[in-house]
Amino acid sequence: MQTSSNNKFVDCVHRAAFRFCAWRAATAALVAAFMAVGCVPQRVATPLADAEVAQKIRATLVSAASASGSTPEAAASTGTGWGTLKGRFLFAGVPGAVRPLAVDKDTEVCSKGGMKLVDRSLLVDPATKGLANVVVFARKASRVKNASPSTTPVVFDQKQCEFLTPVLAARVGQPIDVHNSDPIGHNTNIAGSSFNQLVPSGQGTVYKPESETGMPTAVTCNIHPWMKAYAVFRKDGYVAVSGVDGTFTLADLPAGEIIELQVWHERSNGPNGALGLEKPDLKWTPKGRFQIQLQPDEVKDIGTLDVPASVNGT
Amino acid sequence: MRATPMHSAHLVLASPMQLANCLTEIGRQASRLAFLLLCTLVLASVIGCGATPPAYFRPNMVESTKQRLNPEQERQVATVLLAMFGTPDHPVALAETGLNEAKLHLAAGPVRSDIVGRKNGLYREHCAHCHGITGDGLGPTAAFLNPYPRDYRPGVFKFKSTERADKPTQADLVRILHNGIAGTSMPSFALLSETKIEALAEYVKYLTIRGETELTLIRAFFELDDDAKGTLPETREFLVEETLTPIAAKWQAAPAAAIPVPPIPANIDLVASIAKGRELFYGDKANCVKCHGVTGLGDGQANDYDDWNKVIVEADKEIRSGTEQASQASTAGMSPEQLADHRLQLVWLEKFHQVLDGDALTPRTIPPRNLRQGIYRGGRRPLDLYYRIYAGINGAPMPAAKGTVPPEDIWHIVNYVRSLPYEFDGELGADRPMVAPNRF
Repeated sequence: MQTSSNNKFVDCVHRAAFRFCAWRAATAALVAAFMAVGCVPQRVATPLADAEVAQKIRATLVSAASASGSTPEAAASTGTGWGTLKGRFLFAGVPGAVRPLAVDKDTEVCSKGGMKLVDRSLLVDPATKGLANVVVFARKASRVKNASPSTTPVVFDQKQCEFLTPVLAARVGQPIDVHNSDPIGHNTNIAGSSFNQLVPSGQGTVYKPESETGMPTAVTCNIHPWMKAYAVFRKDGYVAVSGVDGTFTLADLPAGEIIELQVWHERSNGPNGALGLEKPDLKWTPKGRFQIQLQPDEVKDIGTLDVPASVNGT
Repeated sequence: MRATPMHSAHLVLASPMQLANCLTEIGRQASRLAFLLLCTLVLASVIGCGATPPAYFRPNMVESTKQRLNPEQERQVATVLLAMFGTPDHPVALAETGLNEAKLHLAAGPVRSDIVGRKNGLYREHCAHCHGITGDGLGPTAAFLNPYPRDYRPGVFKFKSTERADKPTQADLVRILHNGIAGTSMPSFALLSETKIEALAEYVKYLTIRGETELTLIRAFFELDDDAKGTLPETREFLVEETLTPIAAKWQAAPAAAIPVPPIPANIDLVASIAKGRELFYGDKANCVKCHGVTGLGDGQANDYDDWNKVIVEADKEIRSGTEQASQASTAGMSPEQLADHRLQLVWLEKFHQVLDGDALTPRTIPPRNLRQGIYRGGRRPLDLYYRIYAGINGAPMPAAKGTVPPEDIWHIVNYVRSLPYEFDGELGADRPMVAPNRF
């Protein structure tokens, strides 16, 4: 009697232990596995701030003394007269097949008569190999010939669901006539600006850019998302866009000083679209910048600039 | 077996059966205890015994990787931000920010009570689980919400009483906190005291000014001249006067940028106004129909992204095209320098890919609002609808009607939009079925 109940007791304990093992251990193992693996993907390690340096920086930021210690920017060399810069971009490669855009709205206007809109990010003139829509602008100029921007509006039109100007270049403060020549309504959205407005058919609205863009910024129509252009606004107006044959002209640049120019192309794989070329004579950098110095009334032609296919994609 | 409870002997000398039952019970208890012990052990081993590490602001890895900052440059940005803004536990605000540090301390830090029993750490109590410690909209719950929580860092806010590109006013932020945002996961915090809501609004401003400063600093590396050797100047002139002040000034200028609202036209005939608004809605001038759809269900143009998601979509595109180009390049004809560049490009592409995996949510398109539900995220007062139509919605595809549609006509559209949830669907005609579009 005593023995059998003892056995029963041992049995009981065994069973309890087994139940514990099977169920609870499984749950615990699952929980542990979850916690160890985690639900979020591993995040890239981030740099740690240097507390000591930060303290020193903070001291200079809060002290009023250092504010008065800041020196005005060193005056750039003051030359006289004005010069002109010319050049020409050629595409040294074979551009790939033209890619049609996916047009799925308002097809009665946007695909009128079977017309197909195409991707314009790499426009190469088949006859001359000229690369269009390369932007060249001065990073800094000490003098500007025309003190105030022109009051003649730049027309920025859209027709058959395409911006007629693939790259819009204007001076800050210069009026831009955002126009719509389509029988349907559009909206024009300039990224990073205050401008995203409705443009009814056959009408226009005037926009005066308030600030510089730095590198060109995207212009889109949200109603027809395939519509894309770029805009670049400069305070001094020293900005040019290469034409169909790849040529560009920057007129009335201040002579007698070293001017650094920035070059951009939509398809460039450099940082922020910077077009880096191998041109040691012009001190061309991977950030797409080169330097020139003009004499008064000089028309400097830097000749043809070959853009390799590896830089701009094929 | 409870026959003779009177006899104490039986109680002491329980039958073996009773003993076994009792021991089994003890065994069960012991197993439960062992389970708890095991759980505690597992937890302890995973969490560790050390103190919780202090909360930290996560750097904007998407932008710094996009701009190809090297680790030293990333470190400089982190250091400068620490100097300018402090940490999540100890925020500091330079005078130029115009922020109130006392309010910030009420909202910042871990949840705790101060010496007189006031609760501090409001941001972490109420906001951080969605909007993240950094205000990057990447809190632990963010991935499960639709729409995603707002990322404050670009400094763009949708629902406000100011012009499209301007910052919201303090009252705008407070209104959102007070009312929540209908149709989203943002709840109302109306149960909090006014002081607490004001403190939270101040802290949101702190996070957004910090985030925008960070973006500006990261982008400033590209603008550096080559003789700067890839280091930002750590001077007051650059950090405060050129970088921080223009950002803070926009916040201080917000009250002056209020949208002018003409009074609702007097003795207006509501039926006529709605009819006029309907005409404008479908017309080419206001063109609401293109996105909100002929049915008003939000089923028009619907495959666009908002500005926050667009950043990720563009980054993704850049990685794809970069990878494609790199894989096609033949390394055979490369010079040593070109080969080194090629390898750097591959390393960068891999890093960018990892950064998007951990520091960004899967991009989602932005559906135009379904106007037949009567749910308006930015508020349902006629005035709120006026603001949205007049100035558009910053960060979203919604364009401004300002300049194209005269103010009194905007009021007609407001009236029509407000009538839409009650419009008889038969008016649409048989060719316009009322079927809500798929959301995903």
